[in-house]
Amino acid sequence: MSEEATTVRRLGRVERLPTRRIVLTALSLGVGAAVAYGSYRTLTLPAGARYSGSAWRDFLVLGIAQGAVYALIALGYTLVYGILRMINFAHGEVFMAGAFGSFFFADAWKESGFLDRRPLLAVLLLVLIAMAVSVTVAVLLERIAYRPLRGAPRLVPLITAIGASLFLQNTFRGLFGAQTRGYPKPRVLEGTWSILGIPVQRVQVIVLVVAGVALIALTLVVARTKTGKAMRAAAQDQEIASLMGIDVDRVIVTTFVVGGMLAGIAGVLFALTFGNISYFMGFAPGITAFTAAVLGGIGSIAGAAVGGLIIGVLQSVGPALLLTGIHVPSPFQLKDVVTFLILILVLLFRPGGILGTGEAEKV
Amino acid sequence: MEDRRPVLELRGVFTHYGLVSVLRDVNVEIYPGEMVCLLGGNASGKTTTLKTILGYVTPSQGEVLLDGEVVSGLPTREIVRRGVSMVPENRRLFPDMTVLENLELGAYLRTDRRKVAEDLERVLELFPRVRERLKQKAGTLSGGEQQMVAMGRALMADPKVLLMDEPSMGLAPVLVEQVFEIIRTIRGLGRTVFVVEQNANMALSIADRGYVLQTGQIVLADTAENLLNNPLMREAYLGEL
Amino acid sequence: MRGALRPGARAGLVGGAVLVYLALVGMLVKFEELRLVGSQVTRGRLLLVLPPFAASFFAVRPRVIGGRVEQPGPGVALALGAVAGALVGAVGSVGLALVEAIGVERIRPVFVAVSPALVETLTFGRGAAAGAAILVVGGAALGAAGGIWRAIRHGLRRPVEVGLLTVVTLAMLQRIVPFMLDELRLERDWLYSRATRGLTWTGAVVVLVVATAAAAYVLDRRERRALAPAAEGRPEVRGWRRTALVTIAVVLAAALPQLAGSIVSEIMGTVGVFLLLALGLNIVTGYAGMLHLGFSAFFLIGAYAVALLTGANLVTAFGLVAPRFSADLNFYLALVLVVAIGAAVGALVAAPVLRLRGDYLAIVTLAFAQIAVILATSSWLQPITGGPQGLRDVTKAPLLGLEFRSAERFYYLVLAFCVLAVFVSWRLAWSRVGRAWNAMREDEQVADAMGVPTGRYKMLGFAIGGAIGALGGALFAVKVGTVQPGSFEIIQSITVLAVVILGGLGSVPGVVLGALVLLALPGLLSQLEEFRFLIYGAVLVAIMILRPQGLIPNVRRMRELREEERTQDAWQQIFAARQEREAAEEAAEAAP
Ligand SMILES: Nc1ncnc2c1ncn2[C@@H]1O[C@H](COP(=O)(O)OP(=O)(O)OP(=O)(O)O)[C@@H](O)[C@H]1O
Ligand SMILES: [Mg+2]
Repeated sequence: MSEEATTVRRLGRVERLPTRRIVLTALSLGVGAAVAYGSYRTLTLPAGARYSGSAWRDFLVLGIAQGAVYALIALGYTLVYGILRMINFAHGEVFMAGAFGSFFFADAWKESGFLDRRPLLAVLLLVLIAMAVSVTVAVLLERIAYRPLRGAPRLVPLITAIGASLFLQNTFRGLFGAQTRGYPKPRVLEGTWSILGIPVQRVQVIVLVVAGVALIALTLVVARTKTGKAMRAAAQDQEIASLMGIDVDRVIVTTFVVGGMLAGIAGVLFALTFGNISYFMGFAPGITAFTAAVLGGIGSIAGAAVGGLIIGVLQSVGPALLLTGIHVPSPFQLKDVVTFLILILVLLFRPGGILGTGEAEKV
Repeated sequence: MEDRRPVLELRGVFTHYGLVSVLRDVNVEIYPGEMVCLLGGNASGKTTTLKTILGYVTPSQGEVLLDGEVVSGLPTREIVRRGVSMVPENRRLFPDMTVLENLELGAYLRTDRRKVAEDLERVLELFPRVRERLKQKAGTLSGGEQQMVAMGRALMADPKVLLMDEPSMGLAPVLVEQVFEIIRTIRGLGRTVFVVEQNANMALSIADRGYVLQTGQIVLADTAENLLNNPLMREAYLGEL
Repeated sequence: MRGALRPGARAGLVGGAVLVYLALVGMLVKFEELRLVGSQVTRGRLLLVLPPFAASFFAVRPRVIGGRVEQPGPGVALALGAVAGALVGAVGSVGLALVEAIGVERIRPVFVAVSPALVETLTFGRGAAAGAAILVVGGAALGAAGGIWRAIRHGLRRPVEVGLLTVVTLAMLQRIVPFMLDELRLERDWLYSRATRGLTWTGAVVVLVVATAAAAYVLDRRERRALAPAAEGRPEVRGWRRTALVTIAVVLAAALPQLAGSIVSEIMGTVGVFLLLALGLNIVTGYAGMLHLGFSAFFLIGAYAVALLTGANLVTAFGLVAPRFSADLNFYLALVLVVAIGAAVGALVAAPVLRLRGDYLAIVTLAFAQIAVILATSSWLQPITGGPQGLRDVTKAPLLGLEFRSAERFYYLVLAFCVLAVFVSWRLAWSRVGRAWNAMREDEQVADAMGVPTGRYKMLGFAIGGAIGALGGALFAVKVGTVQPGSFEIIQSITVLAVVILGGLGSVPGVVLGALVLLALPGLLSQLEEFRFLIYGAVLVAIMILRPQGLIPNVRRMRELREEERTQDAWQQIFAARQEREAAEEAAEAAP
């Protein structure tokens, strides 16, 4: 691009800046006021209509637990985005595949009693199975749908990913049936454990532990190992990475494998937490996790974790806190509205996310 | 010349992008310790020549030989493993990684840790400025510094042949001088260098021999001195200016 | 030789995987019933034949090697094809053996499509061993045929393919076409058998011959025209031929209800509604180049707005209730408002996020659409929207005392608006705005730098697209008579996207064709419904990989693609000049 053109563009942007600033400031004030008002009204409700302290605590714990699951899924988006600059819209289905794949074993083991006799081993095996299924789907997805599109204009792989998402959903529907199924839970995981004096759902404890271990392992792999370094290098410049002797195709496959593994883990944790699965279960958590990735700063691993936790908590606390006071009936119906509004607001105010760069904005 | 075998050789190489022909019957020989330059205008196929050597594209005819062994058809990483590295056009560092990480990636395929450490030391001796910035993100370096890191990264592979694609591109005249000074130093280390340039004067002033590429064909091949005195070349510069 | 057969082996394994997939996902069995030609060719068998044929067809495809196109000769093609086809059959047989070994009843709780009927289909009712043999041998034969087929010259092969496709399509339309022929009082028994309901063999052969000949003629002409230099001017309005085609299309469209009766009218009414949506999306995504993933939001807005403005009622436990806010306007007055609302929402929603890069913008549009659906469903807005039950008693759009109650009448209402939208699209494409969009789509930064106010034009795109989409929503509400949030899920956005992309982004005829293929066909082809979204997904992926320009590419984009890149090379000029001079000098020396 010529010097002149750049200057013109820069001028144009400077001119636009003030109005944009004003609108954004007004908007942020408005959002802030609405949040403050809603929370104030909720917290000052008469004693009978108010949520108790322990209810808030439960919301918070649930939020953290589901946030951990979102974080695991979000990492899949972030890793793939980092390396291919594409929104892998079908990642939600990778997650669903893991949950579904492990379901049949969980179901059989519930029947045979294995799930209750050796709960720890059983859950571990379920996680491994789910990982294997998710990884298979993710790798096939890359090989069949995305690899032929390297270097295509940006929207092409996105549309492909949407098609793949639809295809995968309906494939699972065709293969395993359309009905929602109850995902069995080992009996030991019913009820609560007391942690630091706080009663916490046992499933949520498991979720937090597993997710935490997975996150730490991933961080170590990416930061310390040669594979991790190759992944980061390929994310920044594929051509030069291959010049260093890095096998970029393999790195990309590895990325999908890692994303698939995390999605598989998330699938089991999600199924254990919410107790049922269906071919359509990938959509909402997928979008939510994507939002988390964007919120945290897409391409950033820490960002995905932070974003996941924030979204998880906001989803579980937000509707109750903001909407109960202004007498919105069934506020939890609107939890996805919270997610999407956050997505839009983040992109408006800080497109790079909390820990990211200005990746989302063009120019 | 009989007793010496070229370390890198292109033998009758034709390269196509799909059905578009880019290189036609390119023959190049580079002997150990030599510094050779490849000159040519825009879109004449210089970068494609380097890509062909590195296996990014496979020649449709002819072959590339490294130390007498055919390497065309092998994947890039295999060719890199066998001792070719490149300083790419526009430097192309990994901007979000530290300078040290960039240098280490240059030795990605090497397993001899001790020698890698020695080479790192040697590179840092060559570029003292770089040593001060090892922990800095590569993207925050100045253009000249980036060029040094890019060269250092390529040297970290301990290559038999070092390829450079337009090292002077996008740099201020002072820096261009500096870059060629560095190339001269690298050459002084006994490295074999194959440099692609549009800045023919500069390139020929430090090279032993040169090739001139025009729409995918080698039209001139001679010693640097002869090329500098070639009337045709002079005319070409006048045209370039 | 072994290496030479590798493409065949690979394609065969992939084809085998496809066969197993088709079986497990349930298509093979669900498709079995329909008889297409005579009593021998059924849809299920056609589907069974496809994998080996396609695998070999793929294995033998020409490749670019060393700057040349290499096409395997007939012998190699035959061998490759046979290997591929046999492998497909072998994979199928292994699958069958596994099913036999484990037992259908034990697999079924997991893979719901594995049933005795499936085994019956795959073994041709002759038991496992014979079935496996048939699969392998038949596969090899089909594969060999596919290989040979691919090796035939393109100019010969294509017309026959079109002919075959026509036969299959006509056969699949067996519930519609005979009815139309009856309506036209044309003899039909030679074409469609009353016993099987499918085509008769005679009919199939006649159709094949006629369609092949026609295709050969058309394709040949097109080939020649493509080779000729592109004509100047606006190709879309060039010549009487296009006018004639459009006229025929309009006349056909207008006569459809008379010809085809109310089932088809019903289906085509829905197609029309979605066509409106697709035309709207085509403006946003095809013309202006912004991917919109939440287009169903306009559908929703249009539908709810028209319902509320024309006095529809809420469905509640206590019977019908008027919504909290509503008006009782005349439908056409309301329509003006709805279009304005659609445009305003389109522009306003997009405004704050226009600076985002395309893929993010797309996700934001998706988010907005989801918000709209959730809000419409929520208990919070239930007094207005009716929550999950929605609104009913939507107006039937009375016009001069005429109500669009029957499928046929509604079809005309939609047709009128579709024609209008097509017209608007066409005019826009070649207007100043259209040119600005083009520039933006090709390179936004450059357009920006050239002084095109890209932000404003983007908003305009969203506004016009939104207006057309809302119009579609309004008509949808009239058609169905009720408005429920379930009708506006994200899947509708993706359906519309698939229509536009299959047809060809930015191409109006393409969008119309896309709507017919993706929306009319599933309605007309019985039992496709279940696999509709599966097929949409596959279509999106396949089109993006194989033919991103769509079925009928946008003319202007085609030309953009054809333009060659010219490069300047100072060296080249100088050396060329020098060579000329030398040649001249030599000639001069040789002369005396
Ligand atoms: N990936 C590609 N696909 C198709 N054509 C290509 C590709 N890369 C390069 N070309 C074409 O090959 C020709 C030679 O390109 P190349 O990059 O080798 O030129 P160059 O001599 O390095 O030019 P420059 O001095 O501008 O860097 C050009 O006409 C270019 O358009
Ligand atoms: Mg170049």
